[in-house]
Amino acid sequence: MLIGSVEKLIIEVIAVFILIVFFDYIFGWLERKTIAKAQLRHGPTYLGKFGILQNLADILKLLTKENVIPKNADKLIFSTAPLLLLALFIFLVYLLPFPNGLGIDISIGLLAVFVLLSFSPLLIFLTGAASGNKFSLISAQRSVIMSLAYEIPLILSAAAVALYAGSFNIANIVYSQAKIPFIALMPIGFFVFFIAMLAELERPPFDLREADSELIAGWLVDVGAPYYAMALFVDYTRMFLGSLLISLLFLGGWLGPYLPGLIWLLIKVFVVAVVIVIIRATTVRMRLDRLMRFGWFWLLPLAVLNIIFTFMLFVK
Amino acid sequence: MLTRINVGPIHPSTHGVLRLVVTLDGDTIVDVEPHIGFLHRGVEKLAENRMYMQNEGYMEKIDYVAPMAYSDLYVAALEEAMGIHPSERAKYVRLILLEFQRIASHLLWLGTFCNDLGLMFTMFTWTLKDRDLILNLLQDVTGSRMFYVNMRLGGVSIDLPPNFEEHANKLLDYLEKRFKEYEAFLEKNPVFIERTKGVGVLKREDAIALGVTGPVLRASGVNFDVRKDYAYYAYEKLHFIPQIQTKGDSFARYKVRMQEMKESIKLIRNALKLMPEGDALGMPIKLISPPVKESEVIVRRELPRGEGMIFMVTDKQRPYRLSLRTPAFINLSALKQIAKGASYADLFSILGSLDLVMADVDR
Amino acid sequence: MKINKEELIEKLRELSSKGYNYLVKITAVDYIDHLEVIYFIRNMQNKKEENVRLDLKNGESLPTVLEIYKAADYYERELSEMFGIAIEGREVKRLLLEKWDGLEAPLRKSFQWGSEYKSG
Repeated sequence: MLIGSVEKLIIEVIAVFILIVFFDYIFGWLERKTIAKAQLRHGPTYLGKFGILQNLADILKLLTKENVIPKNADKLIFSTAPLLLLALFIFLVYLLPFPNGLGIDISIGLLAVFVLLSFSPLLIFLTGAASGNKFSLISAQRSVIMSLAYEIPLILSAAAVALYAGSFNIANIVYSQAKIPFIALMPIGFFVFFIAMLAELERPPFDLREADSELIAGWLVDVGAPYYAMALFVDYTRMFLGSLLISLLFLGGWLGPYLPGLIWLLIKVFVVAVVIVIIRATTVRMRLDRLMRFGWFWLLPLAVLNIIFTFMLFVK
Repeated sequence: MLTRINVGPIHPSTHGVLRLVVTLDGDTIVDVEPHIGFLHRGVEKLAENRMYMQNEGYMEKIDYVAPMAYSDLYVAALEEAMGIHPSERAKYVRLILLEFQRIASHLLWLGTFCNDLGLMFTMFTWTLKDRDLILNLLQDVTGSRMFYVNMRLGGVSIDLPPNFEEHANKLLDYLEKRFKEYEAFLEKNPVFIERTKGVGVLKREDAIALGVTGPVLRASGVNFDVRKDYAYYAYEKLHFIPQIQTKGDSFARYKVRMQEMKESIKLIRNALKLMPEGDALGMPIKLISPPVKESEVIVRRELPRGEGMIFMVTDKQRPYRLSLRTPAFINLSALKQIAKGASYADLFSILGSLDLVMADVDR
Repeated sequence: MKINKEELIEKLRELSSKGYNYLVKITAVDYIDHLEVIYFIRNMQNKKEENVRLDLKNGESLPTVLEIYKAADYYERELSEMFGIAIEGREVKRLLLEKWDGLEAPLRKSFQWGSEYKSG
């Protein structure tokens, strides 16, 4: 887990990148199939066995299209903000520790992740505002407002985990779950973290920015085709990041009998992601004011209670 | 600061071509101005230049969700003008087919309503599957899934096939089960309840003053249903009960339609039991129609969307004036008053609950 | 019942105070030398219906009944653009037809098919 020589570093970088791409791709396929089954349809079946090559075809098609920039858009910000967003999320995945020699070991890992994560609403807002379109602006505003309400419970429940484990180093947090994973120790914290993470990932039922019947595609309305492909990538990378955080902080990371650590980690990430997709297929989207009320009046007190309990019960 | 937003003629949700210019103050709606007429085909003028039996096809295209109801309305007007009475069995057959049509129309409405609220097509595909089963049944009877043109003077074009009763009963059992599931899913869902309860309240006096009709009127507490008050076919014998709610919000309109679907199932079951033997066939379509006896005809029917009325001034071979009163037209005009003061996200909940079909509005 | 144009507003007010407060439709028939305008109103308590008819000569205008029945808004707009009747007392905007200024009102018998493609 420590940074070795330069070749080892390069191998690690490439390995994690392949992992991200693999997860995004499989996950995109899984989501389409699961939602289709929930809606009594089949989903992609034509390309590849079980339609597994469908996403590849879609991305290739999008990448070969012309990039159109609207006249009222601010060219520089509009072209670079989505790229920065993707770079941000990929970088965040690198900050998390992976077992079996991949990944970096940072003593302030958790703090770094959350500090950098809070840049994402800013970049989303920049993309939406720079496209010169009233609807994108409204949707970008909604994203920022939502992140205001939900980042605090998110950070508080992660802080409870760090409080118990006594360190910001995510690898140490995982090792301190060797006897019992944190989901059993602090179920309230898990619940708050999961829901706040859903809001942070902008997944249904919190998918305000993509309120199809109201604002069409939100801040993505005016981005050109290659950027849309990138935005899909951003979505799934974000989900990978969120599921990784949940598995590392609450489900025991890569600890488990018999199988190598990496496989356990991926299994847990996969299970979390499947749950997120099933939530997407079955819920109704909430209204913005209800979302805000839920965040401020329910999640925040629960997160604070969680910290108080953790402190009183476990930290002597 | 007032902003104007254009909810354009092309929507992601399936409303049809309706353009709304919404004036917002922050998040509150100050004014909604519908611009309609994208689907205006001049049916009333066309009808004046066609012979009587040629018009039935035009009447069906007015509502593409429940076409049989309009063709029944028109053929009933013709029957009254020519003094032809449908036989007893024909009345029951028409009633059964019309009630199936009503269930199919409300199922489509339920799917698109949930779509508007953000359920992202899951409910839409499920209700469309149920509607598909009904359309298959109607295809067995009439030969086509949409635009049946099966109403004839004095009856229907083809009588019910011999095993219709058991197929229909099986389908009705299945539909009853499904309605229970839908109710259990939607009415215990806190997000659905929050987006529909208390949203778009229309009080009783306003409902009567604005002239709204159908489930919108009944959801505001007005006890008026053409099937009860100006009863036609066999509704009196089948003990029909109009479904009323009193709150007048989107949830009440949803509930009225849900109850109406269940009531239709009851009506079909009773009608299948009480249906007499006999001949339900009507006269075949001929260009030269029977001689016309009345000079002015007024007919009312309860269409799935509300009360439809035809006022026809007759000539020897073609209508001199065919004046159609369609329910969605007047329901849309109430949108301005209902939506005033609501928040922008509620606009789609209100619009969905009014059950508009744009071809109905524009004719 | 058949009345004159001048009695329209008071007759409708009288009927509406007797309980006929639901306007079903306002429609018109073109009998080439005059128009007949019909108001269908209904009593929601005893479910009786009444139709009030009046004759309009060509070119005459119709008083608005918006204060008595709020439902008359869309019906009057449609009537005015389809038959070319002017509505006195308020400003009516077009409802169903686009770019129809200067052309013949479509539902009148003198409307020639295809005339909407000339000029306008």
